[in-house]
Amino acid sequence: MKGKFIINGKEKYLNFEADERLVITLRNNGFTEVKNGCMEGECGACMILLDDKAVHSCQVLTASVQGKKILTVKGIGDLHIPHVIQKSFVEAGAVQCGFCTPGFVVATYALLKSNQNPTETEIKKAIDGNLCRCTGYVKIIDGIKNASKTIQKERE
Amino acid sequence: MKKLNTIGKSKKKIDALSLATGSAKFTDDFEIKNSLFVSFLYSPHAHAEIKSIDDKDAKLMEGVIDVLHYQNVKKQKLHTTAGQGYPEPSPYDTVMFDKKMRFVGDRVAVVIAESKKIADDAVKKIKVEYDILEAVFDSEKALEKNAPRIHGEDRYMPIPVKYEPERNLAAEVEIGFGDMAKGEKEADFIIEKKYSTHYASHAAIEPHSVASFFDEMGRLVIVTSTQVPFHVRRIVSKVLDYPLSKIRIIKPRIGGGFGGKQEVFLEPISALITIKYKRPVKIILSREEVFESSRTRHPMKVKLKTAVKNSGEITALSLEALLNTGAYGSHALTIVSNAGSKVLPFFNKVKNIHFLGQSAYTNLPIGGAYRGYGATQGYFALNQQIDIITRKLDLDILEYIKKNHIRTGETSEVFKALGEGTEGVTQVIHSCEMDQCIDKGAKAIDWYKKRDKRIEPKKDKVRGVGIGFSMQGSGIPLIDMGSASMKMNDDGSFNLYIGATDIGTGSDTILAQIVAEVLGIELDKVIVLSSDTDLTPFDVGAYASSTTYVSGTAVKKCADKIKDQILKVASQMLESDIENLAVGNTKVTDTKNNKSVSLAEVGEYSLYTKDQFQIQASASYVPKLSPPPFIAQFAEVEIDKKTGKIRIVKFVSAVDCGVALNPKLAEGQIEGAAVNGICYALTEEYKFSKTGKLTNKTFSDYKIWTANDMPEMETIIAESDEETGPFGAKSVGEIGINGPLPAIANAIYDAVGVRLYHAPFTAEKIYEEINRIK
Amino acid sequence: MNNLKWYFPKAIDEATELMKKEKVLPHASGTGLLKRNLSNLNGLINLSDLELQYSKQKNDTIEFGSMNTYADIIAKLSDIDENNILVKSLQNSADTPLRNRITIGGSIAFAPPWSDIIGALIALETEIVLAGQNVGAFPIAEYLRNSKLKKNSLITGIKFKLSNWETFSHREIRTKKDMPIFHIVIMLKIADNRIQDSKIIITGTTNKFDKLNEIEKYLTDTEIDEIEYSKIEKMVDVKFSKNRISNPEYSNKLVAVELSRGIQKLVRKNK
Repeated sequence: MKGKFIINGKEKYLNFEADERLVITLRNNGFTEVKNGCMEGECGACMILLDDKAVHSCQVLTASVQGKKILTVKGIGDLHIPHVIQKSFVEAGAVQCGFCTPGFVVATYALLKSNQNPTETEIKKAIDGNLCRCTGYVKIIDGIKNASKTIQKERE
Repeated sequence: MKKLNTIGKSKKKIDALSLATGSAKFTDDFEIKNSLFVSFLYSPHAHAEIKSIDDKDAKLMEGVIDVLHYQNVKKQKLHTTAGQGYPEPSPYDTVMFDKKMRFVGDRVAVVIAESKKIADDAVKKIKVEYDILEAVFDSEKALEKNAPRIHGEDRYMPIPVKYEPERNLAAEVEIGFGDMAKGEKEADFIIEKKYSTHYASHAAIEPHSVASFFDEMGRLVIVTSTQVPFHVRRIVSKVLDYPLSKIRIIKPRIGGGFGGKQEVFLEPISALITIKYKRPVKIILSREEVFESSRTRHPMKVKLKTAVKNSGEITALSLEALLNTGAYGSHALTIVSNAGSKVLPFFNKVKNIHFLGQSAYTNLPIGGAYRGYGATQGYFALNQQIDIITRKLDLDILEYIKKNHIRTGETSEVFKALGEGTEGVTQVIHSCEMDQCIDKGAKAIDWYKKRDKRIEPKKDKVRGVGIGFSMQGSGIPLIDMGSASMKMNDDGSFNLYIGATDIGTGSDTILAQIVAEVLGIELDKVIVLSSDTDLTPFDVGAYASSTTYVSGTAVKKCADKIKDQILKVASQMLESDIENLAVGNTKVTDTKNNKSVSLAEVGEYSLYTKDQFQIQASASYVPKLSPPPFIAQFAEVEIDKKTGKIRIVKFVSAVDCGVALNPKLAEGQIEGAAVNGICYALTEEYKFSKTGKLTNKTFSDYKIWTANDMPEMETIIAESDEETGPFGAKSVGEIGINGPLPAIANAIYDAVGVRLYHAPFTAEKIYEEINRIK
Repeated sequence: MNNLKWYFPKAIDEATELMKKEKVLPHASGTGLLKRNLSNLNGLINLSDLELQYSKQKNDTIEFGSMNTYADIIAKLSDIDENNILVKSLQNSADTPLRNRITIGGSIAFAPPWSDIIGALIALETEIVLAGQNVGAFPIAEYLRNSKLKKNSLITGIKFKLSNWETFSHREIRTKKDMPIFHIVIMLKIADNRIQDSKIIITGTTNKFDKLNEIEKYLTDTEIDEIEYSKIEKMVDVKFSKNRISNPEYSNKLVAVELSRGIQKLVRKNK
């Protein structure tokens, strides 16, 4: 099949199989920043924003989301112009192996868009679809708190 | 201590931004054109012999290149998949494709096809007939007389140690000193308990991945998610009888290892396919395959006998550890050895000691290296036993540990008697801040206000606290080797080439920090390239908590050599005596007259101006010692008395890792290990059917925690200065996983008075125990 | 090659017509479908163009289109009725990205044993709005038990009455993100220190769901000070199939304790 998608703000026409999951389509087309850790909607490494909502891209059939907006971690910020969230993760020591990090950044982005001053409980709930085996989450939570503070300061 | 600029600072991890923005590449992120894909066929039986394989239908499918299995892969070499030093202290009991299947998930065949989908479809078309054999799952039963034999006569150990596959004994090590009988006689009482730990998965979020291809010069390149690139090169070369000089291993970013990627079980297959079909191939395991057919934490049964005087003095101690190594003996000897060698020296005043470590083959998934490496299992037993003893004698357990633990200037006979399955190395402790760990940790958990208080914050809920102490090592003395080479560029930057393998730990960063410190430069002036067997010097890899201490010392030696060369050039430029020169602030200064040249000027001068040469050096390091880090970990738990449900209220780790070269990264190691340990203690567990089939091989059924499950965590670094380590460092990678299991068990006892000898501590088990003692 | 065909109907009739094809299933968001083997199917009907993400209120009855996700329901319903059992049941279900994805329609059609939505829907006496072969609105319990109703019928919405009950939901889980072993739903109507009415449903049992009529009967018309909780605990006798997560007797014990606690919590609030 072939379909149109708006990925990181750009229109893309991609080929995919009828039963293909979005994570595979994205990775096959060079969006390797979307990681694949389990294919069962548990680890969150493949998280993207689909029409502004955080979803596991392994739990989405590509054919069903044609025409929709997709945002990957690279659409949030890249090596040259990183997003506050990405910088905060780096500062906080929230990145160890980094395989889960793109997913966490996406989840954080979704959270901070709707809630700029989340409580620790809200932070934990917002990243409840992401697994990290390296950090024990402590520094990821720190990173999210710092990002939220920075964003609020920037607004002032 | 000298004032340091980079060491001891929480510098940003040098690869962190590329990871956080998704541009860093893991194995599966490399675009490899014209690649083949594979699908494995695994044994559905725990113990069986293949009678026949019919692969005709699979081979006929369009897009299928071939199907490989024991019938068509000839002249296979016995080897071990354990990525250890050579010769490996693990039995040679594995071939790529065997006729005999030894666990559900053992490899039968591999389909090679143009796409993953075709391979997956084709694999279903292979028909295999099996002769089903009696299986054995329990480690004790496996060693009984009439147990079914799992491995044949051709299996052997490459080093001279006891190995008896005819009775499923994959390894055995025994040591003793003093006089056990005498020690027992002196005692007022004896406590003997049996403990057991369970199967678990490393669960690195990146599955095991490998890609191989021929480069334009016809050399075989393997990009792989490994902790041990140089061992991969050696093992692939030996298994396939392919010249080592024609193999290049590249380690990209690695999505977590924890020991699980210290195993070389996919690379030989991948290399074989590329060599045979002259095509690139990519092998990415599915999550189910990772759970079932990669490697696991070995379950262990520990029998611990302590003879104790009423004063609390232990007069004799016997620890018998029995490891269930599963179908193959990867790390079977060394892990069971570590249950003694890392555990018994802790209470070094015990004069009479006996240790027996055995590993049994069974028809269950394969064990392997896993953070903690036997020490985790051993300390589970020892910590609970000390809790039992001190409670019986009404002693303060914290004071008891402080009084009896090994300390600076002391040694233990165990160090010499027991190493990695063979004799060890004598060593004296140069640094130990165990007391500080206990005091600071106890304060953080508010021990004395909570211990024995059975505080009930709510109806039906009761709280308790417990401690888990431990020590680990820093590399394997006289065996591990790390090396580094460096060169200086004309702008005063430096290339650092290291075999050391950053698998997410941040070793690239801390090794660069060492260079920056020695040369007085900013971290961004160190360009790190690690783990490419064509470009970097040798290193054993990321295991045994070795990188900081072993590779770090090699890097420091190398940087020191570079510094000498810089000073020589600078002395020529400044016309100064070398003795008067000092590096710092990216320049070399004559301390007499304050004249200076920048490092960029030195670099440029050395390359373009006079007596030109490349400032460059290399250095290796083999440690003579393995200085142990120490840790005290504290759990506060809340038990629901009516249901047995357990909640961790707070978890504290206080660690002495020497000087923390990068405190944030060091804390991150402890926090990650502690949470892994907490999940292991409570919710992570392999479950098998009666026929040995793993029934929970998904993340939805194998429960590791999310942030939402996290208790309050506090991590304290109680620094010591290890004079033998680079800038005072020891190790920090593994030790944090040892405490949770016993600390939680001891806290459960503190709360409800039930003792759980068998992990994990599920609500149901706690409930049953509460009701049993009622 | 895969023979799966996708259909993108623009109207409900068109969708229900397509459902008559052999091995062609409706696709809401796919999270349930992906647990099955798609290679056995001939086609999937994408429902996202059918405008089934609506919500509408008429007097005290509210209706939600079947394509509302859990997150949609939580957001929309908590605006009107924060205390609604459906909000409480769904707000901790699965995880954030899955709540953004799982639709109520797919979730009812799939109705796995660990379903977080079913208990609440039963307690609310929800009607399932169907199009296709069995057009109309049917009580949820009937829909779940009667497989004939499902045939060639598309869930287009759910409707239930808003009411002022005290509500309690308990998911029995090992970690916060887990498919519950069972889910307890309690709804009590309390006035003048007396339980006026009660609904208690347990999902995840051998019967998929059980309505604990005996306990409901015991509670209804009882003075709240006279409730004997130990008696309630003893009355609990739900059957669980022997699964790998925990043994049935222990699960029953857990139901008893958590149910009793739930009732106590609601009663305490009304003292």
